[in-house]
Amino acid sequence: MNLSYRLRLLIVVLSIVVLAGGGLLFKQLLLPDSFGVYGPYRADAIAEAALVPIRHGTNNSCFKCHPYEAKSHKKGRHQTISCEFCHGTYADHIADGKKIGTLPVRKEKEITTLCLRCHNTEIKARHEEVIKTVAMPDHLKDQHVKITHNCNQCHYVHAPLKYIIRAKQITGLMEAGS
Amino acid sequence: MMDRRSFVKKVLNGSIAGSLYLVWPMGGDSLETPEEIPGIKGKEYDILTQEFAFIVDVTRCIGCGSCCVADKREYNVPDGNYRTWVERYVKGFSDNIYVDSPHGGLDGYQHPRTDIDEEIRDTFFVPKLCNMCKEAPCVQVCPVGATFISPDGFVLVDEKRCVGCAYCIQACPYSVRFLNPITKTAEKCTWCYHRVRKGLLPACVEVCPTGARKFGSMKDETSEVYKILKGPGVLTVLKKEMGTFPALYYKGARREVI
Repeated sequence: MNLSYRLRLLIVVLSIVVLAGGGLLFKQLLLPDSFGVYGPYRADAIAEAALVPIRHGTNNSCFKCHPYEAKSHKKGRHQTISCEFCHGTYADHIADGKKIGTLPVRKEKEITTLCLRCHNTEIKARHEEVIKTVAMPDHLKDQHVKITHNCNQCHYVHAPLKYIIRAKQITGLMEAGS
Repeated sequence: MMDRRSFVKKVLNGSIAGSLYLVWPMGGDSLETPEEIPGIKGKEYDILTQEFAFIVDVTRCIGCGSCCVADKREYNVPDGNYRTWVERYVKGFSDNIYVDSPHGGLDGYQHPRTDIDEEIRDTFFVPKLCNMCKEAPCVQVCPVGATFISPDGFVLVDEKRCVGCAYCIQACPYSVRFLNPITKTAEKCTWCYHRVRKGLLPACVEVCPTGARKFGSMKDETSEVYKILKGPGVLTVLKKEMGTFPALYYKGARREVI
């Protein structure tokens, strides 16, 4: 082979251009759109993460259509409890402003189980200033009711002290208005 | 006094209005909720200027597991995997620590532990979730750039890009990641990024009955987390020596937790 100096130079330059260009093109094809806008990742993934459907509403979204429950729930000691914890998620109930399903209402022993999730004294990690706890069945015995009673037979679940205070006022154990 | 004619008229009007009320849809916007994180709803979300912090108050956690239930429902997390969970620490008088978390706290803690022989000194609950590290080990190890820290400080997973190599699951010092058995991609707590972007609190914060979980903007000087973080109280982060600089702070966490 007796190639001139110029031809050899051309071959070298051309191969550099072809290899580098091809590499760049290859990289462009492999990289997804919006890669590298904020860093070495797809910027569109942020927008996609923000599009996950919301399943939990807030208590206020429930109160809009359930004013009776809202009235006592907002006043009672249970005002910080989320409706959706006991009844299920907003998304199972409402879609596009219309009712699509009925949420469960807890009954009987289910209620006691739910109450004791938080109010059980036996779990010795619940401070008095955070939550009032009871020991079962001692509490039922102390109150002189049947040991088979469920919590909601005395306590209204949305405002647990509502009827207790009322009963005390009627029997004169507590002054009205206090 | 009302005469018969006007009475009948009023009743008819009422029944028409009542039946309309029954069939009328309750407004087009299904999630017309008050703004919980001020300055986000209805405004252009500037991803470059936002910063958030999460505070867990261990002294207020009662281990009810509301957060775990809400989390599972919000994302339909497959059984056996947890984006957030609550651990129970039991400390004996001989300084032995017993940690358990049955079902990640999903069923709550109905009964005390019966398998401990010694006298119990103390019990407390510690909620765990993603620490949103500023120097995240999971992000560093991802070979395909599927895990990243967004400009507003959230560590997120790009499901479309994740190849399911599980390297990040090994790398996470807090064990918050898992491989979703259905999609076969890595999944983790996102501090409910989709809710935050719409001005709502994360689902676990929303349902927490005692305020043990707090979330808010660090750019808003009136937010609770801002006041706590800039205030005099002692806050700790988990595994500080790892140098991950988490945005999740623990209030009242004991030596055994850290």
